[in-house]
Amino acid sequence: MKNIFVIAKNTLKLEIRDKILYGILAFALGYIALTIFFGQLTLGELQMIKSFGLAGIYFFTAIIALFLGTTSFYKDVDRKTVYFLVSKPVSRSQFLIGKYFGLCLVLLVASIILGAAYFGIVMYEGGGFDVIGLLAIFMQFLEMCLFIAFAICVASFSTSLISIVFTSAVFFIGHVVSALLIDAKAIGISGLQYRLVQAIYYVFPNLEKFNVRDLAIHAVAMPFTSFLLALAYTAAYVALLLMTAIWVFDRKEI
Amino acid sequence: MIEYSHVTKAYKKKGPVVEDFSLAVSVPVFGFLGQNGAGKTTVMKMTVGLLAPTSGTVTIDGIPSHELAARRKIGFMPETPYFYERMTAMEFMRLCDELFGNAGSGRGEIYEKLLKKVGIHGARNFEIRTFSKGMRQRLGFAQALVNDPEYLLLDEPLDGLDPIGRREMKMVIRDLKKEGRKIFLNTHILYDVEEICDELGVIHQGKLLYAGSVKEFCAGKSLEERFMDTVEAYEAVAVK
Repeated sequence: MKNIFVIAKNTLKLEIRDKILYGILAFALGYIALTIFFGQLTLGELQMIKSFGLAGIYFFTAIIALFLGTTSFYKDVDRKTVYFLVSKPVSRSQFLIGKYFGLCLVLLVASIILGAAYFGIVMYEGGGFDVIGLLAIFMQFLEMCLFIAFAICVASFSTSLISIVFTSAVFFIGHVVSALLIDAKAIGISGLQYRLVQAIYYVFPNLEKFNVRDLAIHAVAMPFTSFLLALAYTAAYVALLLMTAIWVFDRKEI
Repeated sequence: MIEYSHVTKAYKKKGPVVEDFSLAVSVPVFGFLGQNGAGKTTVMKMTVGLLAPTSGTVTIDGIPSHELAARRKIGFMPETPYFYERMTAMEFMRLCDELFGNAGSGRGEIYEKLLKKVGIHGARNFEIRTFSKGMRQRLGFAQALVNDPEYLLLDEPLDGLDPIGRREMKMVIRDLKKEGRKIFLNTHILYDVEEICDELGVIHQGKLLYAGSVKEFCAGKSLEERFMDTVEAYEAVAVK
């Protein structure tokens, strides 16, 4: 457990020194600042500011998650930096889990910075403290944690580039699976085709579970059971992905 | 004692890279000699638990090398080490130390002492990305000592060092020998073995051709001559 903490702490320390991360964050902060302008275009409509602000945080944290998840773990293994770590009393699973939590911490820091800018602007525009907005940002963070686990899992048996392509595809599919199943039912698909749609629905993560931006924009509370369900879903899916990654990594000739 | 018992490592595509390798190392400085690709690094990787043998066992003081307890006894310096470039030398030392469960403000003095020993104390607070190849080798050496190991496994430790650096590192190895540590040294540089090792092992195409004292191996001839004779004799038999 202590080794997981040490690796997570050092992953955070290293990644927050990355200039690319600073670049993305600077861009994101600039975009969030621009939402004031978007609000003025719509006669100070607060919903517009919230909509653009939350979408901006989502978009930029997704880029950070994709960038970190597909490169950080892979680079350590490919460049053999991992030799220094796993030749010490550290198991490969401890290394992988530590790396995962370290990357989640980087995302948490990014979410806090971008969230603070968002809340500042909402309050400046007279919206008060946006509690549901906070929940929306947290749910986005959970989605990104799942996203990183997926990226690490793919990177454990392939290359960084394949991980980028595959994880991006999963990101897209993950947002349409529930609509796909509903549409399949609505247009009356049956038999093998319907089973295929069902298989896609159950295999790929349902990322729409984490989308509460519309609720935040219209200040509608999220049911507590949905929140708990999303937490449990993330924990289960992440555990499954990390176990798969560990199984692969344990057998990998490094 | 580091003990290898009928160790074979084979890959699906390449086939066996180390074959039926048996050896017991207990001398202060053991030099493992072989050409590039002879299997030296594979043997070392199996010793530090980075690779698992296809068959056979590797033990350190009786503990299988894949167990975490065995790794507490060793310090390992990989060949051409790759570091976290944005860390400083001190931060890297701390990371390596913390993985042994060591922590605390007093540990900083130990890292400084080790960095001084390998001659990069002046650059201790510089980011590793600014280090030359020789400085990286020295840092790789220093981190291998952070847990005060009984066994030190060094994979080509003198590669990339200038003549002064090589001399300094050899002196460090001699000092470590005096401290009672056991050193297992991979190299393809014959002169280094002759100069600092008590015993040597010769590996060729994954097979151990000789293990024993350097003097007995040379038997009045130069190490280079004896090494070539041994390898050529093996190849002549293998061709037949």
